[in-house]
Amino acid sequence: MIKTLRASRESFHPLFWWLWALSLLVILLVSDSTLISISISIGAVALVLMKRSNTYWYQSFRWSLRLATLAFALRMAIGVIIGVPMPGQVLFTIPSIKLPDLFVGIRLGGDVTSQRLSTAFDEATLLVALILIFAAASALSNPHELLRVLPRKYYGIGLATVIASSVAPQSARSIERVRAARRLRGESSTGIVSLRKVGTPVLEESLERSIDLAASLESRGYGYFPNPSRYRPHNWRPRETVALAAPIYALIFLFLVPAASSALLAGLVVIAVITPGFIS
Amino acid sequence: MITFSSVSLIYPNAQRTIVEDISFTVNEGELLLLIGHTGAGKSSLLKLINGLIPHHTGGILTGEISVAGRSTRALKPGELADVVGIVGQNPVNGFVSDIVEDEIAFGLESLGIAPEIMRKRVEEVLDLLALAPLRRRNISELSGGEQQRVAIAAALVTNPKVLLLDEPTSALDPIAAEEVLSILHRLVHDLGLTVILAEHRLERVIGFVDRIILIHGDGSVDLGPARQILTSSPIAPPLVELAKKLELGEIPLSIREFRKIAPEISEAPTKAIEKLNGDAILTINSVSASYDQDQSSKALEDVNIQINGGEIVALMGRNGAGKTTLLKCAVAQAPLTKGEVRVNQRDPKSFTDKELIRFVGYIPQDAGDLLYGQSIKQECDLADLDNEVEPGTTLAVYQELMKIPSLNSHPRDISEGQRLGLALSIILSAQPALVILDEPTRGLDYEAKKVLIKILKQIASSLDRAVLISTHDVELVAEVADRVIFLADGEVIADGSSREVLKASPAFAPQVSKALPNNSWLSLSDVERCLSEKN
Repeated sequence: MIKTLRASRESFHPLFWWLWALSLLVILLVSDSTLISISISIGAVALVLMKRSNTYWYQSFRWSLRLATLAFALRMAIGVIIGVPMPGQVLFTIPSIKLPDLFVGIRLGGDVTSQRLSTAFDEATLLVALILIFAAASALSNPHELLRVLPRKYYGIGLATVIASSVAPQSARSIERVRAARRLRGESSTGIVSLRKVGTPVLEESLERSIDLAASLESRGYGYFPNPSRYRPHNWRPRETVALAAPIYALIFLFLVPAASSALLAGLVVIAVITPGFIS
Repeated sequence: MITFSSVSLIYPNAQRTIVEDISFTVNEGELLLLIGHTGAGKSSLLKLINGLIPHHTGGILTGEISVAGRSTRALKPGELADVVGIVGQNPVNGFVSDIVEDEIAFGLESLGIAPEIMRKRVEEVLDLLALAPLRRRNISELSGGEQQRVAIAAALVTNPKVLLLDEPTSALDPIAAEEVLSILHRLVHDLGLTVILAEHRLERVIGFVDRIILIHGDGSVDLGPARQILTSSPIAPPLVELAKKLELGEIPLSIREFRKIAPEISEAPTKAIEKLNGDAILTINSVSASYDQDQSSKALEDVNIQINGGEIVALMGRNGAGKTTLLKCAVAQAPLTKGEVRVNQRDPKSFTDKELIRFVGYIPQDAGDLLYGQSIKQECDLADLDNEVEPGTTLAVYQELMKIPSLNSHPRDISEGQRLGLALSIILSAQPALVILDEPTRGLDYEAKKVLIKILKQIASSLDRAVLISTHDVELVAEVADRVIFLADGEVIADGSSREVLKASPAFAPQVSKALPNNSWLSLSDVERCLSEKN
C-alpha cells in the first residue's frame, strides 16, 4: 500500500480564503453597520499580519492598504463636496459653485452637516472593509493553487479566475521594479502621469506573463483529460471547517440577537475574522 | 519522429512569412539545434511542433506537421502533452506551483496518472535532474539554473518523446549551463529522447548537437549536420570563426577537435601597451549589503572596488553571487549595512534623481523597464525632456549607435538588440560618467553583440568615463573587458586583468584561449590584431 501524500501543514485549502472572504462579505452586507465594517477591517489587517510570509502574494498587501486608504480619502472628499443637501447641524461651510438648472437638487460645496459627514464616513468604511476582505484573501492564498482545485472541465473559467487573482499581486511586485528603473531615468513625475508611465510596462508584463502561463498550462495538458489525479491532495480538514465556522456563528448570532450591545458585536466579529490566525 | 511537409506559417498582418514551404524530418534520439538571428522565427518553429501555433498563438499554417504520427493540425497542444514537452524562454512565467515537487507533478495530474505511478515518476525525474535535495524548496528561492532544471523536469515527467527548449541557457552562468546541457545529452543518449533547442550562444551548445536547423529569416531554412551548416552559416561560435580565420580548412566542433588540427602559432611579443586610466569614478569601500530591508540575508560582504575612467570592468560570478546588488550600490538602490560608496567623490545617496543620471547611467536586466513611450520617436523625445538636453539629442545618439527601426514602431515590437540600443541611447544622451549594464547580452545574437561591443569600447575611449557590466557571457568579457571582478557568495574572490582572471579559470575561459592555450589571446579580435601585425 502506497501512502498518499498530504498537503503541507501550514497552508489552508486553496478555496478556504475565498469562502472565508465570502462569509465576511455576507456579514458586512447583512449587518450594514459601520461598527461591523470597522471591526472587519481591523480583523483583516490583524490576521494578515499574523500570517506573515515572504511570498509575492503576501507582499502585495501593502499596496492593497494604500488602495484602501486612497478609496477612503476619495469617498470622504466626494461625500463632502458633492451630493444632495442634507439636514442636520452645520459643522462648516465650503464655498459652493452654482450648477446649471439641469442638475436640480445636486450641489457642489456648500454647508457640511453632521449628517453628511457621517453618511460619507459610513460608506467610506464599507468600501475599505470590502477592499480589505479581498486583499486579505488574495494576500493569504497562492493564486496558482486555485488551478488545482477548480473543476478542470471549465478550463477557461479556471484559467480566467487564476489570472484575475494573480495579476494584482504579481503587478505589485513589478511596480516596485519599474519604479526603481524609472528613477534611473531621472524621471520624477508624480500623480497621473507617473501612474501611466509605471502602469504601461507593468500591464504589458502581466499580459505577457498571463499568456506564458496559459501556454504552459495548455502544453501540459491542463483541462484536456477528463479525470485529473492529485499528487498531494488538498483535503478539506477539520481545521478549515473550524476556521470557517467562526464567521458563520458570528452571522447567526447577528440574526438571533439583534439587540446585543455594539461592543460585544464588534468584539465577536474581530474574533471571528482572526480565528484562522490561531489555527495552523 | 517529427515530420514537416511543405509547411508555411504567416501571422495575420505580418509583412513576411516566418517559414515558407519547408520540409524536413527529425529522427528519434536526435539533438537538434535551432539557430537564426533574433526574430527569425526560432520560437515560432518550436511552438509549431507542439501545436501552440496555431492553436494558442494564432497564425496561418499550411502544410502538415506530424509528431510521433499525430498531426498538430488536428490536435491541440494539450492533447499532445504526453508526447511533447516544452520549456519556454521564461520558465518562471509558466510555473504553476511554489514547491518544486508539486510543480513537477502538475503535468501528471493533468493527464490523470494514478497517484502510485505519479510518485514513482516524480522520484525518477527528481533523480534524473539532480533535484532531490531541492524537492521541498520554494521555487522562487532557487537560482536561475535550478529553476531551469525544475522546468525541464516538469516537462520530462510525462515521459514525452520530444523535448523542446527555447534558449535554455541564456540566463545561466557557464557552469549551470554546462550542467543543464550535459543532462540533456544524457537523456538523448540513454533514453532516446528527441531534443530540439533554440540558442544564441552556440559556443555553449555546439559540442552536444547532432544536426542544426538554420533559419534564414526570409522563410527558408537549412537542415544538415552541424559541420556542414557551420561552414557557410553567418552565425558561428568563436571557435569556428577562429578556424576559418586561420584557414584550417576544417570545421572543429569542440576544443579537442580544434587542438588536433591547430598549428602552433608563434606570437610576436606584443608591445606592452600600458593602458592609461583616468581618475576614480566609482569607489566602493568595505561595503556590506543585504538583499532586503531585513538584515539577515547577506548579499555582499566587505567589498572593496575602485573603477577608473577609461576602464571597462566585467563583473562575473554564479547566479545569486551578489552582482546585481553590487551594481545597485552605485545608484543608491541597494540596502547597505556597512561601508561607503562614492561616484565622482560623491555619495550617490546625495544625488537628486536629475543629478544621478548625469553621473550614472544604469541599464537594468530587463532594458524594457526603462521604456514607456508608445513609439521610438516618443521615447526619444521623453528622454530629451528627462535628461534636460536639446530636443533630438537622444534620437541622434540612437542613430549613431545603430541602424534604427522605423520611428513609429513600438518599443516592445523591436528586436532585443534594438531595444537595448534604445535604452542605451536614453542613458547616454545624459552623458553619464559611469555606464552600468546588468546582463546586457541576454537574448542578443552575435550581430547585435558586435554592435554592443563597439558601443562600449567607444564609451570607454574617453578617460573620464567608465563601463561596468555584469554578465555570464564569457565571450563578451573576452572581447570587451579590461578587468574582471569575480564575486562568489557576496565576496570579491578575484580582481585583475581579463587575461589573468579568465585564463586561470577552466570554466570561465573563452573558446579562443581554450583552443590556443599557449598563446595569450582571449578573443578573435586579439588574434586578428596579431595576424595583421605579422603580415
